[in-house]
Amino acid sequence: MIYAEHLRKEFKKIVKEPGLKGSFKALFKPLKETVVAAEDISFHVPKGEILGFIGPNGAGKSTVIKMLTGILTPTSGECRINGKVPQNDRKNYVREIGAVFGQRTQLWWDLPLQETYLVLKEIYEVDDAKFKKRMDFLNEILELEKFIKSPVRTLSLGQRMRADIAASMLHSPKVLFLDEPTIGLDVVVKDNIRQAIMKINKEEQTTVILTTHDISDIELLCDRIVMIDKGKNVYDGSLHELRENYGQTRELVFETDNNSKLTEEEFRKGLKLNENDLVIESDKNNFKVRFNSRKLPVGEMLGYTLSLTKVKDISVKDADIEEIIRNLYRQGEKSDE
Amino acid sequence: MKRIWKIYRLLAAQNLKRIMEYRADFLTGAVSFLIDQAVGIAFIFIIFTQIPQLAGFTFEQILFIYGFSQIPKGLDHLLADNLWCVGYFIVRKGDFDKYLIRPVNPLFHVIAETFQVDAIGELVVGIALLIYASPGAGLHITIWTILLSIIAVPFAALIYTSLKIITASLAFWLKSSGFIIQMVYGMNEFSKYPTTIYSLPVRIFVTYIIPFAFTGYYPSLFILTGNNALFNIGGVIAISSVLFVISVFIWNKGISAYESAGA
Repeated sequence: MIYAEHLRKEFKKIVKEPGLKGSFKALFKPLKETVVAAEDISFHVPKGEILGFIGPNGAGKSTVIKMLTGILTPTSGECRINGKVPQNDRKNYVREIGAVFGQRTQLWWDLPLQETYLVLKEIYEVDDAKFKKRMDFLNEILELEKFIKSPVRTLSLGQRMRADIAASMLHSPKVLFLDEPTIGLDVVVKDNIRQAIMKINKEEQTTVILTTHDISDIELLCDRIVMIDKGKNVYDGSLHELRENYGQTRELVFETDNNSKLTEEEFRKGLKLNENDLVIESDKNNFKVRFNSRKLPVGEMLGYTLSLTKVKDISVKDADIEEIIRNLYRQGEKSDE
Repeated sequence: MKRIWKIYRLLAAQNLKRIMEYRADFLTGAVSFLIDQAVGIAFIFIIFTQIPQLAGFTFEQILFIYGFSQIPKGLDHLLADNLWCVGYFIVRKGDFDKYLIRPVNPLFHVIAETFQVDAIGELVVGIALLIYASPGAGLHITIWTILLSIIAVPFAALIYTSLKIITASLAFWLKSSGFIIQMVYGMNEFSKYPTTIYSLPVRIFVTYIIPFAFTGYYPSLFILTGNNALFNIGGVIAISSVLFVISVFIWNKGISAYESAGA
């Protein structure tokens, strides 16, 4: 469905020295610098998949999404979606896609929301019966009724985002590009938007590419993730695999009467683990051990702790995806040094 | 074609509704354009209190040329005003994105989005001046001259629009080109008077380089004299067509160079 092959995008930037003097200098003797926003990005997405496209700020996510939607022309490399190259056949291509850029809106700012849908109906040539059915469907999953008659500029961020997502789904696109659709929203609205994405994916086999910084979005929605950093692929696989490969960290929480004797130093010495593989946090009654389960099985850690102190309660936490991603990002930073 | 017209009407209607929401803004705009026109006409009055003729043209004839030049200008202003915004901020802020993800030609979409009612000022003044000046201007009225000069009007407007497309497109490379549009557009002042009052380099410039002379003086000259239809009217059609083709080419090149804006 979606093929991205060695996508690369360079921007030319004029370097200015600070101040007015610098601006003048740049005007007459521009010093050009090439910025590589995406260096070499490749991935495939099969039909009906929800792909989490993630990476730290400035990794090049938006640049890639903009190349896939046809807004930017790649410096080199190629993308094909449904067999079409976005830049070559723009008009026919964009009929099949919907896009939401969380930081921007495509709604008519000064007019009641429903006017936007009426215009989009004509632009995408949705016939009356289909339009009515579609609006009912969108109303139901995104709860637009309450504000559909209000001018867009008066909508709250959550309402606006729901309205924008509805706008992108109006013409039943085959592919949906969502660039940070949950940014800055409260839990209820986030949940609402996630439900909508899931529903449309399930009922219409819409392929979805989603960028987000919200880990729950990924956990709840995405079949697969592609992670990029500094314009390059870092990881491509399922969430499950990511956990298997990088998520060796386990966390045990013990509730004890007295944990004053349990220090990090003692644990490291007793278990022969270094500071990368074992971290301990403790407060009055709780005592938390985070450790690498590849170096030491969970059972042994349990036994060791129990031999040192009396434990009232135990809980085991699975590898936190947020933690895994943080580690991956950090690895990227280290490899740079 | 039917679809294009339907979309145009819808987009333009959205714009009108928006204008209704901001009435004070609209009124201020319309009044300021009327003042602008009044100053231009007063200037001609003052000149003619000092001299009986200007480059061989009488007061009425000059008014006629002035009036004629306002009609293509107003037409372009009415229909293609949004190009200014492309040059000033749509590209710079990355708001051009939305035109690229809709199944409508982006140039058409940008233009259709605004219907600039302020332009009625120019159209009304232009037509009023034509009516006022016609009886005394010694026009060469035949079906032929009237028909050809009416045909020339949309093509003359296309000269304005094409020049705006070219200069607005520069924003795709320069990020902002509003002042360049302003500079080129400002040269339309030359269209209001006979080119014979200018020195030869200026005359060549406004005829062949930034061809504003074809939006006012030359087509008016044709109705005034009935002479040289090939150059005076054919020139408008040829130059505007060539300019439009060039402008669309540059615009499309610009779209491939478009860099959007962060996040």
